[in-house]
Amino acid sequence: MEIGLNHYLVLSTILFCIGLIGVMRRKNLLLLFFATEILLNAVNVGFAAISHYYGDLTGQMFAFFVIAIAASELAVGLGLLIVWHKRHGTIDLDTMTSMRG
Amino acid sequence: MEKYLYIALFAPLVSSLFAALFTATPKKQFVGIIASLLIFTAFVSSAILLTHILGTGEIVHVELMTWMQTGNLYIPFGFVVDQVSVTMMMVVTLVSTIVHIYSIGYMDHDSGFNRFFSYLSAFVFSMMILVMSDNFAGLFIGWEGVGLCSWLLIGFWFHKESATWAANEAFIMNRIADLGMLIGIFLIYWNTGTLQYDGAFAAFANLDHATLTWIGIFLFIGAMGKSAQFPLHTWLADAMEGPTPVSALIHAATMVTAGVYLVVRSHELYALIPNVGLFIASLGAFVAIFAATMALVNRDIKRVIAYSTLSQLGYMFAAAGLGAYWVALFHLMAHAFFKALLFLGGGNVMHAMNNELDPFKMGALGKTMKGTMIMMTLASVALAGIFPLAGFFSKDLILEVAFVDHHFIIYTVLLFTAGLTAFYSFRIIALIFHGEDRHTALGHHPHEAYKFMLVAMSPLLILAIIAGFTMKMPYFEMVTELLPATEYHIHSHTTYWIMTIGTQVFVLLAIFFAYKKYMCRSVKVPDGTSKMENSFAYKLLINQYYIPYFYEEYIVKAYRELSVVCWEQIDKKVVDASVDGIANIFYNTGKNTRHMQSGNLSTMLKWMVAGTVALLSLAVVFGLAARYSGEITTILSGLGV
Amino acid sequence: MLDHILSILIFFPAFAGVMGFMINKESMRAYGTAVATIEFALSLWLWFSFDNNVSGMQFMEHMALVPSFGINYILGVDGISLFIIIMASFFTMIGIASLSPTHSIKNMIITLLFLQMTMIGVFAALDAIVFYVFWELSLVPMLYLIGAWGGPNRIYASVKFFLYTFTGSLVMLVGMLFMAYFFYQATGTWSFAILDWYRLILPESFQLWLFAAFFVGFAIKVPMFPFHTWLPYAHGQAPTIGSVILAAVLLKMGTYAFIRFSLPLFPDASVFFMYPIAILAIIMIIYTAMVAYAQKDIKQVVAYSSVSHMGVIILGTFALNVEGISGSIFLMIAHGVVSGALFLLVGVIYDRRHTKLMSEFGGLAHVMPRYATIFGLMLMASVGMPLTINFVGEFLSLLGFYQQSHILTLLAGIAIIVGAIYMLTAFKKIFFGEVTNEKNRNLPDVSKRELLALIPLAIITVWLGIYPKPVLGPINNSVEAVVQLMHNKATSAEAKSRIPNISGVVISRTATKEAH
Repeated sequence: MEIGLNHYLVLSTILFCIGLIGVMRRKNLLLLFFATEILLNAVNVGFAAISHYYGDLTGQMFAFFVIAIAASELAVGLGLLIVWHKRHGTIDLDTMTSMRG
Repeated sequence: MEKYLYIALFAPLVSSLFAALFTATPKKQFVGIIASLLIFTAFVSSAILLTHILGTGEIVHVELMTWMQTGNLYIPFGFVVDQVSVTMMMVVTLVSTIVHIYSIGYMDHDSGFNRFFSYLSAFVFSMMILVMSDNFAGLFIGWEGVGLCSWLLIGFWFHKESATWAANEAFIMNRIADLGMLIGIFLIYWNTGTLQYDGAFAAFANLDHATLTWIGIFLFIGAMGKSAQFPLHTWLADAMEGPTPVSALIHAATMVTAGVYLVVRSHELYALIPNVGLFIASLGAFVAIFAATMALVNRDIKRVIAYSTLSQLGYMFAAAGLGAYWVALFHLMAHAFFKALLFLGGGNVMHAMNNELDPFKMGALGKTMKGTMIMMTLASVALAGIFPLAGFFSKDLILEVAFVDHHFIIYTVLLFTAGLTAFYSFRIIALIFHGEDRHTALGHHPHEAYKFMLVAMSPLLILAIIAGFTMKMPYFEMVTELLPATEYHIHSHTTYWIMTIGTQVFVLLAIFFAYKKYMCRSVKVPDGTSKMENSFAYKLLINQYYIPYFYEEYIVKAYRELSVVCWEQIDKKVVDASVDGIANIFYNTGKNTRHMQSGNLSTMLKWMVAGTVALLSLAVVFGLAARYSGEITTILSGLGV
Repeated sequence: MLDHILSILIFFPAFAGVMGFMINKESMRAYGTAVATIEFALSLWLWFSFDNNVSGMQFMEHMALVPSFGINYILGVDGISLFIIIMASFFTMIGIASLSPTHSIKNMIITLLFLQMTMIGVFAALDAIVFYVFWELSLVPMLYLIGAWGGPNRIYASVKFFLYTFTGSLVMLVGMLFMAYFFYQATGTWSFAILDWYRLILPESFQLWLFAAFFVGFAIKVPMFPFHTWLPYAHGQAPTIGSVILAAVLLKMGTYAFIRFSLPLFPDASVFFMYPIAILAIIMIIYTAMVAYAQKDIKQVVAYSSVSHMGVIILGTFALNVEGISGSIFLMIAHGVVSGALFLLVGVIYDRRHTKLMSEFGGLAHVMPRYATIFGLMLMASVGMPLTINFVGEFLSLLGFYQQSHILTLLAGIAIIVGAIYMLTAFKKIFFGEVTNEKNRNLPDVSKRELLALIPLAIITVWLGIYPKPVLGPINNSVEAVVQLMHNKATSAEAKSRIPNISGVVISRTATKEAH
């Protein structure tokens, strides 16, 4: 069986759904970061696949961008996470409700 | 002549303004004197105008300035002195001069002396506008003006609850009628394009009958209010709360006759719609007997005279409705003289008795108040219509009119009323001046009024006596230049004599009966125990046929309660609550949805996902719909949508 | 200077208001009075230089703001707006001059001067956007007046006032944008100039929608039943000066806008909606008069009476003939003078007793005879006594509408009965009878400062009642132009027949004039 575009896209969708569920269900901030990473990488798979399909490098370029930004975001995010953990001794999401309306 | 017209018109205004300058200061005798002099000036000017019109027969017509002008509407302040208005001017200025002079004595001890003259003169001014105006709008100015002055004067003693209540009642009831009048004016304007009498009357000939009937009806509704015709009559009796000179001037001689004047003035209209005329005559006859019956039992001198006025107004309307305009105007004039006299006499009695009004508590006042007694008796004789006093000529004429026109029901009613009139008039005369002395026991020490008050009244007395036989013919010749000169002669002489003598005998019998019943020793102050006082008829009459009660219970109360419902229930609980309700929807939406904003990152992320999914699915749905819009339309049209 | 007199009239008070921050507290009242007097003198000069024989716009000013969208700063007055402008400056003047002592009077006077700018701006603007800007800006000073100097419930009242009228005006703004868009579609250029819009003949179906959109904005401002409930709260809580200006001038914006926008822009829709609006107006007249009768607070009586009279103005406007519209404009002036005076009068006793409940009073005619006299005069004007200013307006409005419908006019005429009922009852409760409340026994009569405001109003009430011509003449000319425009623009046969054609009539009237 030839592995075509559709397979990649299905993979991307499945990954995205996993990420989405993770984003919704996880209460641990660290795991939430993992879930967002899965989301971003699901998109990266899609970008790369479509880029290859059209023979246009822009998509792959975007994937690199996403990876770079995801890395920097994670760096900032983890930094904040550590600070939070030092202050409150927990990284459970339910304790972070100071933005309640 | 125009000069005199302006003097007659504006002298009362000057008088009113002059007196108004002193309203804040204590009583000043000269205010009364100067006001009286100014009104007398108006009287003299009116007299000059009268001689001018009698001599030359030419009508004085002036236009002072524009009042309102917009679109096609053009209303000037225009004044006309013709045979009809000059008659009214004479009556108004004469009676008001006398009442002004009389008031100097009557209001002697009142703290509002200066204010009283200001109001009284303002009334005269309004009345002059009413009668002299040459258009319906000007008439309406006077019409409302006299209503205002009547309000001020009825409520003159404003510390009394009853007086202010009566004042408001009179004003509001007149307002109801004024609406009718206003609609009549609108009808005239939109159908004839003008409000000037001459222009409008000329155009009436070309209008269809239905329109004319409506105009006639609406104008008459206006007249019904001012002249206190049933069912708008209750205010007149209550208006007796005002000072007595006011009752004499406004509620007997002048203002209440404005309705009659209006009908006479619009005779060209009413001549075209005899069916409305017949209605007016029937209502007049009804009011004549209706008011007379209420006067039979009343225990308040002023109210008896007020009902008598009402009854006489009924006579005037009967005559005017039957097309005998000059007769109506003649009775108006004669009535003004003797009724004003009667009221002023009543005022003397009231003064003497410290404002006691119940004739049963008087008796034998004739000993101390001879002058007043003579005047009131003669005025009553004139009112009863005994030959040769004024009432005989004017009132019998109305009976003849009804008879000659073959309105026998009206005739019979009016004839019977003549008997009642004689009875109730002499009932109070007998009770006040004759019989046993019942007042000393109650601690009253009556005294005669000031000399000058009696002297001031004497012109009225003279006119009440001689107006009939001296003035009838010249008057007839004068006014019939303007009004239809229908003479009312009963064809057979025998019938005429039988009728006249029969009426006289009937009236005399009524007088005799009144004297007999109320001069005897057994008359006592009624205490509610006698058989008569408990009879149904008495109760009906003393309660004025329960009409005021009905108005109070079913109209005033209902209006008051409905108003409260409008405010408390509708305005607050429906209209405003729905506005606040709409505002609350937004407020509550915000209040309820703020829980979404829990600050919990994972809840918010859930919402975010939900929103994304919703938006995406919407995009898909719209995308599909746009793509397959052709097919969808076909399917929908196939379904018959 | 005359070329820019309207701009001066608008911005002089605002400028003076800004300068006012630098004036010290004690001399603020004198400063405010001086500014308002100069402004009033300027408005009188405007009247003096106004050409009575011209029916169109005068003193036009034109300045481009956003030319690509046709938004321009255009000003002008005609007979319709002239007198309302004069009235606005007049009321600001006597309002400031007779201001009773209150806290932070300096801020109040500055607020009033800004309010004056917005009021005059609304009546002088001839560009829809400029009009809209001033229309909305006028809410802000009023919001301050009620919210900062009002009674105990002032926050609720001022927020309600603001949000309610603001919501209405947003719908109106949508209408304006649509109108400009239609203009663009028809001509290819954008324009918000009202005079340009006058030339546009819209199909009837568009007219109906646009009319409805404008109607919401205007009707809330008037306020028409059932949108009137903000008014009693606003009046009830506002300080005297706020009520005076609100009743005298701000309410007139709604009725003025009907004549400026709705009638000439949408003649067919005006005819279409004539009966529904007339019925609303009649409900407004009778119903609010009954509500006024049920009130216990004298200020609420006057507030509701104000709504009732506005009903007559609306009725006159929708008579769609010269008599009715002239009458309604005249009644705007009359109602401004009379209800303004009544609110001032209510303020007089409020200042003395700090209560407005009628049951607290009684027999005041003994203690305050001058006050009772002036109140009586204004009362009589309010119930429409002939030879007072109100009668002319009411008479003409009702007379005008009688041409359109007999029954409805008869019903509307009940105004003169119900008006008398609530006014006389209120007067009786306050002034007649014996003095029962000891606190009232030694009340001082009206002071000089209060007379300063009341006497001119009393004089105007009588003067314009006897001789309305100086005001009615210019109004009449402009109204004739409006009615003629409407007649020419009307497309449906019914509208053509309902709206009279003036040009034929003018000749016959000059003939009658000569005959007189």
